[in-house]
Amino acid sequence: MSIRLVRAEVLKLSTRRGLMAASLLLTVVATIAIELILLLLHATDPAKHGIVGGINHFNDGLYSLTQLATIAAVLVGATAGAGDLAAGFFRSLVVTGRPRASLFGARIPGGLLVVLPLTAAAYLVLALFSFVVPGGAATPSTTLLVEAGLWFELYIAVMFLLALGLASLLGSRATTIGILAGLQLLVTPLVQGLHNPGVGAESVLGLALWRLAPTEILGGAPPGHLGESLVAAFVVIGAWMALALGLGAWRTVTRDA
Amino acid sequence: MTDVVETAGLTKRFGESTVVSGVDLRVPRGTAFGYLGPNGAGKTTLIRMLLGLIRPSGGTMRLLGRPVPAQRREALARVGAIVDEPRFHGHMTGRQNLWALAAAREPEAHARIDGALERVGLLARADDRVSKYSLGMRQRLGIAACLLADPELLILDEPMNGLDPAGMLEVRELIRSLVEEGRTVVLSSHLLDEVERTCDAIAIVDRGRVVLQGRLDDLRDGSAAVLRVDCSEPARAAVLLRLRADVARVREEEDQLVLELSAGDPRGESAAIAHVVLDAGFELYRLQLDHDSLEERFLELTTRLGAAA
Repeated sequence: MSIRLVRAEVLKLSTRRGLMAASLLLTVVATIAIELILLLLHATDPAKHGIVGGINHFNDGLYSLTQLATIAAVLVGATAGAGDLAAGFFRSLVVTGRPRASLFGARIPGGLLVVLPLTAAAYLVLALFSFVVPGGAATPSTTLLVEAGLWFELYIAVMFLLALGLASLLGSRATTIGILAGLQLLVTPLVQGLHNPGVGAESVLGLALWRLAPTEILGGAPPGHLGESLVAAFVVIGAWMALALGLGAWRTVTRDA
Repeated sequence: MTDVVETAGLTKRFGESTVVSGVDLRVPRGTAFGYLGPNGAGKTTLIRMLLGLIRPSGGTMRLLGRPVPAQRREALARVGAIVDEPRFHGHMTGRQNLWALAAAREPEAHARIDGALERVGLLARADDRVSKYSLGMRQRLGIAACLLADPELLILDEPMNGLDPAGMLEVRELIRSLVEEGRTVVLSSHLLDEVERTCDAIAIVDRGRVVLQGRLDDLRDGSAAVLRVDCSEPARAAVLLRLRADVARVREEEDQLVLELSAGDPRGESAAIAHVVLDAGFELYRLQLDHDSLEERFLELTTRLGAAA
């Protein structure tokens, strides 16, 4: 893996002002804004609006942040996967003689280096706010904060990789965003809400990811009505990653440039 | 002199359509080589095959003495190329785009960025976003990207496209300076005049086939001599001159006769024709001996092929 190629990927993504603004808005800015609004509401009418802090507030916030940060991860992943093609830059990279597989491989750490710090910062904000006005409620333990943080970053990394693979396969940022938005915003919540989701529901990536979440935070999000085992969840996530990245790499290597 | 590009029977088919057909190409080292053909002749397809952007349907290729695609990476390490118009990330500056391309090359490539920008006259605009560049500036940035490889061979696809006359002159001079440094430049073009001004050797391609190949000087020497005869009563004079064995063809053009002479001694034949015209009682106003220009040769070849098809 070439460090210089990874840095080039970071450069290509981080210089996109629109992408970075949207990602920042969906993560750090959105988290700060939501928490400040809740704080203001609580300050003006404590009887009607509950405390801003404590473990339940943290759980609710984490569920919302996961949804928003997933959109940011998909945006960054789709751009990392299809940005060079859309700009016509992929051809210039290929004629350097650098193997296409290494061009694809550099997109993975490059994109993660862009999206994970943003989502980590948003998570940090959320974690800090859970201690602001907890009232009498228990605050999240350090263990929970670490475990939830790691799970959250895993969730985002998986969604980024899914978008990266799909965009590399399709060669289109817009189509990738459309497909994954549908998967994340329609299919996953729909299956989560079903009492008898039926055969095959275990294969929904979002459900498998939520299965890995620390049990303390599951109160903040519906885990669905599946009795999916931990092993099954890992298998589902691994299969999705292998499929998306495998197809993305294959298409990058074989496509006419 | 070794050849930096060698192809044998190179062929590319898209479904039923054969875009490149059995091309045997040899590009001598240290020359500016023009790959000349009308639009749709298969020029870009051949370049894309050479660079490994698409797979050939048949034939073999060697770049800088290395077989491709078997040793594609080693061969392309010293090749800089522009295919179609050069395209970059518009949201990044010229320097940032070159940085991203240099990252895909050897580590020394980064140290060549400023020199490359200076050489193509873009150093002052290097930190502007490429979306603000004109097409001519993007063409020059494309050449700068080629220079990151410290290339032995540059392959430029229609490098004059979109350039104004001053820009064309700059690119022409740049190409010549690269050749003077011992590098080889292959440029594809449909601009015959530009190729004639810039290149040492050419291949003319039509409908995917190379129909003529060689050094320009040799091709000019082998071209037909043309005698322009400005005389009184050209129609009657044409009847007389068509009877001569040393005149291959006669046509009337703007009240002049244009005679294509058979191979032989054009100067001696010109003097003989002058005598014939005067002895027949015509007034002779002017006599001019030329060779076919590359453009005439090109048009003749492609027209003949078109008629035969």
